[in-house]
Amino acid sequence: MEETPRLNFMWHLVWDFRAELLRGLLTAFEVAITALILSLFVGLLFALMKMSRFALWRGIASTYVNVFRGIPALVSVVWVYFGWSLLFGYNFTVYQAGVIALTLLYSSFFAEIFRSALEAVHKGQREAGQALGMSRLRIFRSIVMPQALKIAIPNIGSMYIGMIKDTSTFTVIGLAELVFVMQSINAEYFQPFVLFTAAAGLYVAAAFLVDFVFRIVEGGFSYPKVGRVKRFLTRRKRAQIQRLVEAN
Amino acid sequence: MNALISLRGIRKSFGTSEVLHGIDLDVYPGSHTVIFGPSGSGKSTVLRSMNLLEEPTEGSVVFEGVEYGPGIPGDATPRGKKIDLRRQVGMVFQQFNLFPHLSAIDNIALSVHAVTGKSKDEALERAAQELKNVGLLKWAMNYPAQLSGGQQQRVAIARALSLDPKLMLFDEPTSALDPELVGEVLAVMRKLAETGMTMVVVTHEMGFAKEIGDQCIFMDQGYIADSGGADFFDTCTNKRTKEFIGSVL
Repeated sequence: MEETPRLNFMWHLVWDFRAELLRGLLTAFEVAITALILSLFVGLLFALMKMSRFALWRGIASTYVNVFRGIPALVSVVWVYFGWSLLFGYNFTVYQAGVIALTLLYSSFFAEIFRSALEAVHKGQREAGQALGMSRLRIFRSIVMPQALKIAIPNIGSMYIGMIKDTSTFTVIGLAELVFVMQSINAEYFQPFVLFTAAAGLYVAAAFLVDFVFRIVEGGFSYPKVGRVKRFLTRRKRAQIQRLVEAN
Repeated sequence: MNALISLRGIRKSFGTSEVLHGIDLDVYPGSHTVIFGPSGSGKSTVLRSMNLLEEPTEGSVVFEGVEYGPGIPGDATPRGKKIDLRRQVGMVFQQFNLFPHLSAIDNIALSVHAVTGKSKDEALERAAQELKNVGLLKWAMNYPAQLSGGQQQRVAIARALSLDPKLMLFDEPTSALDPELVGEVLAVMRKLAETGMTMVVVTHEMGFAKEIGDQCIFMDQGYIADSGGADFFDTCTNKRTKEFIGSVL
């Protein structure tokens, strides 16, 4: 009778290599957060271009969005890392290539998120600002943008989780993120089930953490103010108004 | 006496349909002009062209001798900038248009700070003063969503007044309110009228129009169909006007 091979799960590997795995996750976080900050700015810029009166701006923005929204992260990073080097002779570091690839991809999503959020702000809000004699920049900065951000934040949170996950494809250029770390451990011990499970667990934990952080941020943009953080940050202002109310 | 604001040959088209067919109107300092008429008659468009929120297709808005707007073709008079006109004209909207992300006091303080350049502390003090004038100081830290419609509209009036406008425009200020809240807003407006503020009011509240109006304008189908002074409601003879007044009173 043939003996079935006994499964031998070396779960202790997860603990033994905890420092390496966490460092991998941290690298993923870092690349993703740098790209998040850049994509927010680039995305906002393209959202404004898409809403421009000038057809040329709108055309450029639509093309950008459609091109980069359509390219998978893996293809994008290979192109940035190897393609750029071949074409222009300039070598990005793997970290830079990862950030650029994610920014190209996600800024196109953010452009759409911001456009829909900006358009969702009631037209009367801009009119009220205009009627008061506020400048266009002031209306955008103090009236439209805070309301649009509130609408956009849950989507930005989801996108950030997507960005962290997409860093896993950067293994192909040798970025030492979580999957890369996991695969090098696997090459030595051949424990794919254990290691992939550990990676999945870490990605899910990251998603929960991001969700938690974004809920706090969302609280800061909601009105009336909710959340202790926001109340704490506005306590001086509230005391000042309280004094004015009492003085009058 | 020179008019504070004059509309000269204001025409407005949306696409191919013209909704205002050349409006001429003078509003004198300290006067209270009421504009009424059936819906679609162009009364809101006239009001909104006074601060160029609705840019006329043709014609001028003359405010204290300065011409704004497109003028008539071929007219080379230098034009003022929209923002300079708007800083002297306050406006109150049917839907209040308070900023929902700011508390009542910050709605006003932001406007004062952004438009007059006063410091944030000074702006808050001014805002508190204006809130007190409309009886809402206690609600200073409430957000628009935490205020009744009548309270929101009073904050909106306070916000406009905080910039010391020379002219106040009211675009159906009570039309979005529950009937029992209309009174408090009209009371604030009545008080304002008594202080000698120049006001132009588009309204369906005929009783109020009759009470404060010293220039009454009846609009119909993009024209000023009829107009008169303080006694307009009692003395008008135009059949269409009488029909309309009869139908809403």
